[in-house]
Amino acid sequence: MTMQTTTHKRADILARDEFALWYQADAASERMVSFAQKAKRLAVHLFVASHLVAIAFWCVPVDSPLIPLCRDLVRPYFLWAGLFQSWDMFAPIPKGANAYIEATLRYQDGSQKTWTFPRMEQMSRKEKLFKERYRKFADYLQRDELDELLPDAARHIARLNSSPGHPVRTVILVRRISFIVPRGNGVYVPEPWDSHILLGYGVRPEDLK
Amino acid sequence: MSLRSLVKFWNEFFFAEQSPVPIALFRILYGILVIATLVLLHSDWLDWYGVDGWLSLPTASRLEPGHRLNLFTVIPQSNAWVEAVFWAVLASSVLLMLGLFTRMNSIVVFVFLTSLHQRNLYITHGGDTFLRLAGFFLIFAPAGAALSLDRMIRIRRGIESPSVQARSPWAQRMIQLQLSFLYLVTFLSKIKGAPWLQGTALFYIYHLDEFRRFPLPGWFFRPAVLKLGSWSALALEFSLGVLIWVKEFRYILLALGLLFHLWLEYSLNIPLFQWDILSAYILFIDGDDLVDSLSGVRRRVFGALSAFRSNPALKHRKSGQPPFRWLRYR
Repeated sequence: MTMQTTTHKRADILARDEFALWYQADAASERMVSFAQKAKRLAVHLFVASHLVAIAFWCVPVDSPLIPLCRDLVRPYFLWAGLFQSWDMFAPIPKGANAYIEATLRYQDGSQKTWTFPRMEQMSRKEKLFKERYRKFADYLQRDELDELLPDAARHIARLNSSPGHPVRTVILVRRISFIVPRGNGVYVPEPWDSHILLGYGVRPEDLK
Repeated sequence: MSLRSLVKFWNEFFFAEQSPVPIALFRILYGILVIATLVLLHSDWLDWYGVDGWLSLPTASRLEPGHRLNLFTVIPQSNAWVEAVFWAVLASSVLLMLGLFTRMNSIVVFVFLTSLHQRNLYITHGGDTFLRLAGFFLIFAPAGAALSLDRMIRIRRGIESPSVQARSPWAQRMIQLQLSFLYLVTFLSKIKGAPWLQGTALFYIYHLDEFRRFPLPGWFFRPAVLKLGSWSALALEFSLGVLIWVKEFRYILLALGLLFHLWLEYSLNIPLFQWDILSAYILFIDGDDLVDSLSGVRRRVFGALSAFRSNPALKHRKSGQPPFRWLRYR
């Protein structure tokens, strides 16, 4: 009888201990879960707040010495992740001139040809949909700070206009420009076209391969 | 305003659960727009991104230095791989639109889109930039929580209940904020320029031959109309950047914004730009209002059909159940 009671007591104690252990483990795992949830929530709050501030500093066009400092801070991350942005279409001053690019091509046999970069105003409505990227690219080609784009463009034009027996030897990229000048009564009369040479490029045989 | 009320506002604004239907609809529109962008680019794909295209990879890297998420720097330098990128991003966009493996495909589409922009930044317009930025936050959004194949599969397997579960909208809010930043920054940039303040800006814009699209009426070119147009654009951009957050103004501003972008779509040739921006308007519409509008459209469509024959799809209306019950989360 005494032995049976002792065994029961032991089983009781064991069961209690097991329950206590299980309860402790459950409480610990619950604590872990709630800790993980809290950490996740905190991370989301930090993510949201930091991105909001960073985006605001990146794109707000306000003159303050703080802005460039903050931009420099977030620049590596923004450039890597593709979060860089600028919203300045037609701003602060809309483009004040119609312009396009022409290429004068001289071939090895001495012949010459003028090739015009795709121009939106000469395309059908359907073509405009598919070729609009040329407008954007031509816009960048004309910017002084991006003149590194020009040799690549000249090489591509040479490739487009060469054949094995008739290679292009020189490409001269010319910008044609006509300013938009409002007359007194708001009438628009197109100004004459002006020309500026952007680049003269001597095509090498390896450019055409 | 106390710190406590600020914290409360923050928590409610970003984390109070709401219907995921608007972000799911945005996901569908986003997928369609990425597909449309790719289709328009396809005929000149190798010219823009190819090995012997308009811009070589070394020149692009020199002009835009720094570590950048750009798959083109990792893949072998051959046109076959560049073509493969097109088909990969197209396939992933279709799956994202359908909502199959939504999270994975939102990541894949974002990485590819960013890579395309990094490879040739000089052909992208503001609409492309907005798609890229929205794509980043879409990764974190519950974009597959409604109107998706993922959800259909989860319901079939009994993992999810048929009624839509409310979700935390913080990623959706970030896309909304990104849109209002877009308008506000455009407004702030424009008021720095004299032509916008003087009201002559539109004169220049509408005389740029390269943007011309459909014919415009003669009266539009009158100085007074152009002046009014320039100032109205400024006022609307400011309102869409700031006042859109005031609930009472929201829907009227969205309607005005829609008209504004439709006018630009008609008058200027910037393919997809207006639609890229307009797609995010859906995020400003309350989930229940969206479902109500969908129900209205459905009612009208089936109402017209039922005039010819009795339609079994209208049975639920007769039984008194609201349509699109499966999209309602309350």
